[in-house]
Amino acid sequence: MAFANKIEERDLHKEQKILILAVFPLIFLIFGVLYALSQGANLAQGMTSIIKSPTTLITDFMVVGGIGAAFVNSALIGFFNLYLLKRYKMRINGLLIAAFFTVLGFSFFGKNVLNILPIYLGGYLYARYQQIPMKNVILVIMFSTALAPIVSFITFGGLFTEGFSYLMGLLTGISIGFIIVPLSSHMIRFHDGYNLYNIGFTAGIVGTVITSALRSFDVEIASVNLIHDQNNPMIIGLLVVLFVYLMGIGLYTNKDTFKLYKTIFKYRGRTITDFTSLVGYGLTFFNMGVLGMASLIFVLVLGGVVNGPVMAGILTIVGFAAFGKQPKNCFPIVLGVLMAGIFFGYDFSSTTFIISALFSTTIAPIAGAYGPIIGVIAGMLHLTLVTNIGIIHGGINLYNNGFSGGLVAGFMLPIIDAFKRGESRS
Amino acid sequence: MKHEVKKICKIVDELTTLFLKEDTNEVDFKIITQPDRAIVKIVDYNTKYSEEFIAHLKKTLNNQRQSEIEEYYWQLAGETDDDDELTLISVMIDSATVEKRDGNLYIELVRINK
Repeated sequence: MAFANKIEERDLHKEQKILILAVFPLIFLIFGVLYALSQGANLAQGMTSIIKSPTTLITDFMVVGGIGAAFVNSALIGFFNLYLLKRYKMRINGLLIAAFFTVLGFSFFGKNVLNILPIYLGGYLYARYQQIPMKNVILVIMFSTALAPIVSFITFGGLFTEGFSYLMGLLTGISIGFIIVPLSSHMIRFHDGYNLYNIGFTAGIVGTVITSALRSFDVEIASVNLIHDQNNPMIIGLLVVLFVYLMGIGLYTNKDTFKLYKTIFKYRGRTITDFTSLVGYGLTFFNMGVLGMASLIFVLVLGGVVNGPVMAGILTIVGFAAFGKQPKNCFPIVLGVLMAGIFFGYDFSSTTFIISALFSTTIAPIAGAYGPIIGVIAGMLHLTLVTNIGIIHGGINLYNNGFSGGLVAGFMLPIIDAFKRGESRS
Repeated sequence: MKHEVKKICKIVDELTTLFLKEDTNEVDFKIITQPDRAIVKIVDYNTKYSEEFIAHLKKTLNNQRQSEIEEYYWQLAGETDDDDELTLISVMIDSATVEKRDGNLYIELVRINK
């Protein structure tokens, strides 16, 4: 049973928690501007290229607009979301931390300062229509920007004449924001909360419907493969500093962090496992730093490049380390992906493989609940699915792994249940 | 709020599953809906839960109402008997009293209409 532990830690006010999170966009902004200046790059031109890109999978903003502009784009979106959290007086819980880091990460490939806005507007209109506070839906809307590429594709994909395409892009984004809340709430029952990126599953379904409709009109969404292919030591160094910072905040908040850290391993991670309320903010921030560092080392050991998609993978893991992910439930899943990678002959250093491995931790709760062997099998199944389902939604769902994770969980859970005998005790 | 009655039913569903599976073979639920709130009164007869466990349960249920999580996840409540969703129940209610008397566990949950 997921009980809250007795927590003795330094009390953090809501503003302090927002400030702790704000360090990430602030550092990204400073880094982006300084990097662009040092390279003599035109930031405004880079931002314009990012905004005007169709952004379908996989469009790395480090290639489209340059490294400096990609970091500035992420920082601006980060600040915008933090402003909303403050504006609507949100409690900074584990899920909000996860949403913030997911949006921050995907702002390196897919989300830009323009294509996310119509979705927020759609969410606002939904809240007004249902006469519920905007704060009730803001969380879902933050995640649902997974479908932001469809806004860019319709606006800048050459489907309509210029001007009319802006209107169509706007309307599409608003429509997505309007329908995503009830859809996401309903879809979670398919996988019973064992897929942490539930919006990824929902967005996969929505993306499939939209892409199918477009294909009916003979509109084909061309696949894109723009990936930054060289490691930058400054980006790696920046991430190391930020993850050490998170661990430091954890230690500052809870002085017994080292002694108590193992208590986090007992949680299965199934939705809802909010570590901020179960083990406190100290252990949560420390766990975020640990998993961030582990993810970065994993990427470098495999010989991968820390580019836009990989940044998204790492930052999403960091975020969900506040909402279900911990080393014990992530490890079997990633091991399963690696084993399947060996079996099927994948190139371990390729960005496609690395992001599949990073995002596969969306189904970490399966390993947490049913043990490492089932976890390894789930990881293997995840790799086989995730490399084949992108074509269904044409790459307009950024959380492709969330879509795959939902299918894996929804497929495996009844089968696991079929092999169980008698009543199980939680 | 939409689906108000269904959300109360989901809370009852989750706790029915939990108590029948974990603790007892006799449990009463009384649900009262008023214009401004819903109250769920539960009697879990002949409870085997320890005082420490009950203190944990009280703390968890009194976490804090969090409407944004409720809006997203409320349909998960009562969906599985493999795991519990006490954290979800805690974000769907405003307050909870939990006490053990005469060998029975008495719980009262209050959910304010918003």
